Formats: sequence, structure tokens, C-alpha cells
Amino acid sequence: MKFGFRSKIYIGMLSLLLLLGIVIIFAVSRILTHALLEENSNRGISIGTTLAARVAEPILAMDFLRMKNLVDETVRLSDDIYYTFVLGAEGEALVHTFKGGFPVDLKTVNTVADRQQYSSRLLDTGNELVYDYAVPVMIGGDRFGTVHLGLLRIRVQKAINHLILSTILLTGFVILIAGFLGTAFASQVIRRIKILNKSAEEALRGNLDVRTAPLLKKNCWEIMNCDNPECPAFGNTQHRCWYMAGTLCPTCVEGEYAKKIESCVNCSVYRKCSGDEIQGLAESFDFMTLSLKTHIADLKDAEETLKGQRQLLKTVLDATPDFVSLQDRRFVYQAVNKAFCKITRKREQDIIGKIDADLFPRQQVEIYRQEDRRILKTGEPLIKESRITGTYGVHWLHIVKIPVEDSDGRIVGLLCSGRDITELKRIQKQLNQAQKMESVGQLTAGIAHEINTPLGIILGYTQLLMEDAESGSQAGEDLRTIEKQTKICRKIVSDLLEFSRDTESIVSPLDLNRSLKNVISVVEHTYKLDRIDIEQKYDFLLPLYDGDKEKFKQVFINLLNNARDAIGTDGTISTTTRFDKVNREIKVYFADTGCGIPDDRIDRIFDPFFSTKSVAEGTGLGLSVSFGIIREHGGRIEAESPPSPALQAKIGAPKQGTVFIITLPIAQPGQAGAKNKINHHKKMNTGS
Amino acid sequence: MARSTLRFFLICVILSAGCSQEEPAYKVDLSKRETVTIRAEANIITYAYLPQYSHKVSYQRHHLLIEYLRQETGLNIKQIFPDTFDKHMKMVGQGKIDISYSNPFIYVKLAHRYGARAFARIIEADGTTNFRGQIICRADNRQIKGLTDCRGKRWIAVDPSSAGGYLYPLGYFIAHGIKKDDFQEIDFAPGPGGKQEKVVLAVYAGKYDVGSIREGTLNVLADRIDVNEIRVIADTPCPGWVYAARSGLEPETVAKIKQALLKLDYKLSDHQQILDAANITGIITSEDNDFDSVKELAAQIGMRLEE
Repeated sequence: MKFGFRSKIYIGMLSLLLLLGIVIIFAVSRILTHALLEENSNRGISIGTTLAARVAEPILAMDFLRMKNLVDETVRLSDDIYYTFVLGAEGEALVHTFKGGFPVDLKTVNTVADRQQYSSRLLDTGNELVYDYAVPVMIGGDRFGTVHLGLLRIRVQKAINHLILSTILLTGFVILIAGFLGTAFASQVIRRIKILNKSAEEALRGNLDVRTAPLLKKNCWEIMNCDNPECPAFGNTQHRCWYMAGTLCPTCVEGEYAKKIESCVNCSVYRKCSGDEIQGLAESFDFMTLSLKTHIADLKDAEETLKGQRQLLKTVLDATPDFVSLQDRRFVYQAVNKAFCKITRKREQDIIGKIDADLFPRQQVEIYRQEDRRILKTGEPLIKESRITGTYGVHWLHIVKIPVEDSDGRIVGLLCSGRDITELKRIQKQLNQAQKMESVGQLTAGIAHEINTPLGIILGYTQLLMEDAESGSQAGEDLRTIEKQTKICRKIVSDLLEFSRDTESIVSPLDLNRSLKNVISVVEHTYKLDRIDIEQKYDFLLPLYDGDKEKFKQVFINLLNNARDAIGTDGTISTTTRFDKVNREIKVYFADTGCGIPDDRIDRIFDPFFSTKSVAEGTGLGLSVSFGIIREHGGRIEAESPPSPALQAKIGAPKQGTVFIITLPIAQPGQAGAKNKINHHKKMNTGS
Repeated sequence: MARSTLRFFLICVILSAGCSQEEPAYKVDLSKRETVTIRAEANIITYAYLPQYSHKVSYQRHHLLIEYLRQETGLNIKQIFPDTFDKHMKMVGQGKIDISYSNPFIYVKLAHRYGARAFARIIEADGTTNFRGQIICRADNRQIKGLTDCRGKRWIAVDPSSAGGYLYPLGYFIAHGIKKDDFQEIDFAPGPGGKQEKVVLAVYAGKYDVGSIREGTLNVLADRIDVNEIRVIADTPCPGWVYAARSGLEPETVAKIKQALLKLDYKLSDHQQILDAANITGIITSEDNDFDSVKELAAQIGMRLEE
């Protein structure tokens, strides 16, 4: 059973009063009983002593009548005097007040020595309790007898009972009064505590606009005769000025409550307005809620700011292609970004709180652990490139791990940042290849230049010998074979020289439709011999393009020859021109129904000397030369094999084969156009 | 908390109960009774001091002397305390008092009425064989400046038979021309015992204008009242007190007692203690004719020895 504060106070107060009452009753009863018994004893001794003094003369005179009169008079003094008697010097009874003889036991039951003033003893007669007081009768230092006085205890007992009853009643009355006063006081306290409690509950519910402290009869500005509305305490009836910072009284100390209260306690406003502890508590509570409200508002603002910054940070982290993670000293993941989730193929909530062992293969985990421990131990960052292999293929990662320090410089975690450099690695590889090819090209150009003259001599002499050879002879046939192969060699040398030659571009407005038609008209007849048709789809709204006419013709011839070579015989080449008004681009499509390009080779088709054909059929420089020319003009050339469904729908490309797409951006009016892009550009193209 | 409070409460109650002041009652049986019987002792020589003072004073003054006599004579001498002068005299006549120590006037009455015979008399504290009576009044009584101013005043005396307390002062008044009738009233101190003191207290209280006492009474009361409040108007010399034997007491007994009394020597320290207690310095032999002057004074003041 739980008691409320009121019940506890009442129970405590009642218990205290009852306890106090009981202790008082016992203490007072004890004191009074002691006093009454003492008084009774003194009374008995006094009467006995008086009787002893008065009986001395009759004893000397052996005047029994006077002695008898004296003892009878003494007994008549009070109802509680049970008996008196006088014993002689030898202990014999001289006179007494008993009827029917003298009780023998009383002679010896309470003796008193000569040197004693008196002796008392409580006697139990069976019916009564009697205090017997014995007083010696002394004359000139000689013992002449003893006076005995018997006082009934019943009278003093009655008095004691009466006193105890009176004490109990009085104590009860006092307890009642104290109870009433205590109740009134407790009610006052409880009422104020209830207000405090209610305010506290309101505050817990979120309502911080509580008013707990009572209004003052006189406020600080009235006491100080102040009319300064800029003072924060001016007009504020709810809060006390000594709690407020920035009050403007001349005696006020700057600062918060803790700084100014020592000064405020000496202020007349504090002395007049400060109340008891409960009022102080209520005032403190009011100001506390006010402070809390202000702090909560500040906190909310800070939280909003923090939330925004956190969101911003998360956005930045998530938007960055680099993966980022933060681990604590126990290598538990505290934060990761989207890139990290992507590379680990896990959700953020599945990573946070985990360690490397939960996320990566055992071998990697061991490597990571050693690295992480070394960083924590040495404080030195780690930068490395790592090759990882998984179900998603081979990836190269550039990883940076740095220790995270707190404000005291202690390492509290690890920040890991990395990026996928697989593409970069691929390009680096291509660059290396291109550099190698460049070197090969330069070497080849030199060789070609050197062997061109001997080839010319060989061809010349071969033709001279052919003139001398008989028609149809073996020698003649052999010479034709030499002539043919020599021409092939010279063609290769010529292409190499063309590929490596640094030529000047002649830029002029160019109708690409016309240029394409001219090229097709030249090769169309030849292609038909191999039963290859050429479909032509022109966009007649195609704008003029600033470019080198001859070089574009060479590109078109190269792409058509490449298509013919891919088809072999019996096929179709589709050429299409389009103008993309939105992106202001001219697109030229060359689609063939050939064998197509394998996936693992399509990335290398623009490399120099890369060819799927035999040495006799091609040099492997056609597409590279075309790539370089288009790029020289600021455009780009791509290949799709087989064509995507979207591309099939767009230009009617076949489902198989290869489509080369030339994209040429049209300069905006006022822009420099392609002229700016075409400078003295080395013919040697290094590929994309 | 409630349990602790209850424990504290119980401890208080137990301690309070344990502090009872009741003493154990001793059981007595009042049903066993006896009848009071006083048996008189045999072969006792009774000695009585004329009750001019209270019995206590009489006892305190003479109990050492009686103890001395008992040891000295081997007699079973015991002091008894008659309440009044008349009773003293009657007890002498009745043979209840064997040895009477009285003033000269009582003696002459005893001798006249009952044939008692003096055998010794005392030497007073001042070394004389006479003692003195004193006529006193309040120190602040402006109406009485001399003896003649006592005329018409209220006079309280010790006893009609008191020598120093009445008879000698009366003779002194008569000798100075003041008769009994000249006083507004003459009263005597009420009995029994302590009469000398009662006279002083009556004058001290203002109930009487003049009082007559034996010399030395003021010293007896010095620790009870301020004796400076009492003025002595006149001193009346009279013969000292006398030891007399009743008629019929064996002469040998009287002789033993007389011899013992006369043997007391103030120079001996143990005797001095006895004599100081009795307010005397010695005892000398005496005979009946030593008190003839007293008999004459009695006749002079009209006192009849038979009454």
C-alpha cells in the first residue's frame, strides 16, 4: 500500500505526537509519582517528627494520657493516617491508636537507629498498603522511645491516578491542538508541493509555460522605483530578478544566477521578495522551465542545423564516387557511404556495427586487420592500390586509410577512402599500348620510307622482266606474282607513310550528303561485283559542316571498305545521315550485315594495326586513321556490334553485323567551330 | 520506517515501565495483638527537678548528675517529671518523689506540709549560693522606665510557688511600695512545664507588660528569640535551690546521696561536665534553718505555706 505525501506527513506527525505524548505521560507520571511519593514521605516524616517532639515531654513524665491524646490527635489529622503508636526505650508499646490490642509485628517491622532521623517502609497488611514511618524520640542524645506513623497508600495512589489521568487528558488535548496546527501547516505545504508537482508534470508533458511561484505583492521595479523597460526583470511578474542575467540595477552583478546570487542576497529586493524554501523551489522551477524552454529552442535550432549539415554531408558522401567508411578502434564500422555499400553489395544497415570479418573474405580480412593495426599503432596513413576479385569481376581499387584523431590527439578510429580505378587501369593499359604503338609507328614509318625505294626498284625490274617474259610461261606467272606482292608491300608502305605523315587540313563548308554520295558512286560498281548493295538514306536538312573534304572522303571510303570486308559477298551496306536538332549534332551511320565484331575485340578496333583480316587484305590502319580524322574535327566515332534494338528502330539497322556511328557536333552561331579544333594535328592517332 | 518507529515506541514503553518507583511491600500480620502493660520498677529512688523548665531541659540539666549518683551511690535513682509545682509537692507528700530539687519557697512548703528536710544546696553559676529573679519588660516599652512604672500594668509570673519567678519579685515590689492590687492583673504561666520560657515569650509577644523569671532563662531562649528585645527592669536576689529528702526516706540513703553530691568538685573535669549541665558550680551541705529568711518573706507577702 502506497501512501501519499499528505498521508505520510499525517502519519508521521500523528506518530510523533503520540510518541511524544506517551513519553510525556510516562515522564510526567514518573516525575509526579516520584514527587507525590516524596511529598507523602515528607508528610509522614514531618508528622512523625512533630509527634516525636511533642511526645518527648509526656514520655519523660510518663504521661500516658497526654501521649494517648497526642497519638489520637495525630490520627485524626487525616483520613490516610492509618495508625500511630509510641514505643518506649525498650521497644515496648506505650500508647497506640489500634483498637483491640497492639499488633505485635509492628514493633519490629520498621526499626530506626538512634543516629537516623527516620526510617520508612512500605507494609502490606493484606488489605492495605501502608507506609510506616518510624522517628526516634531523642532527648539530650538519649533514646527515649520511637514514634510510628502509618500512612495509607491509597490516598497517594488516588492522587497519582488523578495526576496521570490529568496528564493523559492534557497531553491528549495538546496532541489535538498540535494535530490541528500541524494539519493546517501540512495542508499549506502540501498545497504548494502539489502545485509544484502539477507544474513538473506539465513540464514533463512538454508544456514549459508553467507558473508555480505565487505573484509578489511588490515587484523589484516597484521596490527600486525603476522605470527602465530595457531591464529583463522589468514587468516580469512571474520570474525573480535574481535568476535573470543582464538585469540593469546599479548593484546587479553581470552574469547568470550562479555568479550574481551572492551579490543578490544582500539586495533589498531579495530580502523582501524571497520566500521560504518551497517558494524558492517554485521560483527556481519556474526559471528552470524558462531556461529549459530557451535551451530546447536553441537545441532544436542546432538540431535542425546539424540535421541539415548531416544530410548535406551524407549527400556529399553518397554523391561522391569514392567509397568512404569510418571504423572505431575496435574496427567496427560506424559510417559508410553509398559507394561503399555498392562496392560491398550490402545495405548500409547491414554494414554499420559490423567488422571486416562480417563483410569480406578471410584472406582479405587478415590483410585489412594487419594494415589497420599498423595504422593505429604508428598513426601513419596507408595509401595503396588493391586488386580484388569477386562475383562481380576483377576490380582495381585505390585505397587511402588515415587515422582519425580526437581533440586530444588520440587515435579513435580509421577513415577509409577509396575509388574504383578499374577504368583508369584499363586506360593506363591502353595508353601504354598506344605509346608502344607510337614508337612502333615511328619506327615503321622510318622503315617504310627506307624500303619504299627498294620496293620501287623491285617493282620496276619485275615489270621490265615481265616485258621480256613469254606470255603464259611459268616465269611470266612468277613475275606477276612478284609484281602483285610488291604492289601490296608498296600499298602497306604507302598507308604507313600516309598514317604517319603530318598533313595540313583544308577546312571548308562541307555538304556531307554530297561527299558521301560521291564516294558511294565511286565504289558502288565495284561492290556490286561482290553482290553488295548500298542503301542510302539522307537527311536533306543536314547543315553544312566545316571540315576537310578529302579527309572525310577517306573516312567514308575506309568505313565502306571495312563494311565490304566484313560482309565479304552478298550483303547490304546502309548509310544514313541524320541531324539531331536538340543536341545540334550530325550523325552518319554505316551499317553492314557482316559477321560482326566479337565483344572482346570491339574495344580494340580503333587501335593501329589491329585487324581481323589477313596481312594481304589490310594494314590494320584504316579505322585508326578514320578515328584520328573524326577526332581531329571534334567529333567521335563509335561501333555497336550487334546493333541495339533502339538503333535498329532508329535507322533500320540489321539485327546482326556492325554499325559505325560518326557524331559531329555543329558549332553554335558565333562559336569558332571546327576550325579551332583542327590545327596542325599529327596524323598518328593513339586511339580513344 | 514504520517498523523502526514501532520498535522505538516499544523500547520507550518498556523503559518507562521498567523505571517504576514502587518499593517492595513488607507483609505484616496485624491480627497478632497484645495488650499494653507498663510495669513499675521496684526499689527506685525517685529524683524530681521542680518543673520550672520543660521536662527536656530538666532532663538535659540533670540526667548526667543522676547517672553520677547512680554510679556513686549504687542506688537505682531515676528522674521523674511532675508537670506542675503542685504536683511536685504532692508527689513529695505522697512519697513518689524521694529526692526533691526545688526552689527555697517550694522547699519551705514541702518542709511545712510534708516534713521534707533539706540536706544540700547548690552554688550558682556565678559562684554564689543565691540565685536571682529578674523583672523584665519589652525593650521598646516606653511606659516602663523604672520599677514604679510597673504599677497598673499586667504582670505574668512563673508560678505562685516560684521563688525567682514570682515570690522574690513580689517581695521586691512590696519592698518598693507596690502591692499585688496595684497591678492591672497578675497571671501565671500555663502548665505543664516550660513555665519560665512561657513568661518570656508572653512578654516578648506583648501580651503582658511585665514578667518575672529566674535569672538564666533568657540564656535558655537565646537561640529562639532575640533576647535584646527584652529589658531587665530589676534583679531580685534570693537563696539558692535546695535538695530535700522526703519524709520517711532512709537516712542512709539520704546520707549516700548527700555524700555523693557534696563530692562533686568543679575542678574535676568529669564533675565539671555534670555541674555545667546542671548550670551550677557545686553543691554544699544545707539544713532547714538555712531557709528561715524565706519563711519570713512568705509571711511578708502573705503566702500561706499550707496552700
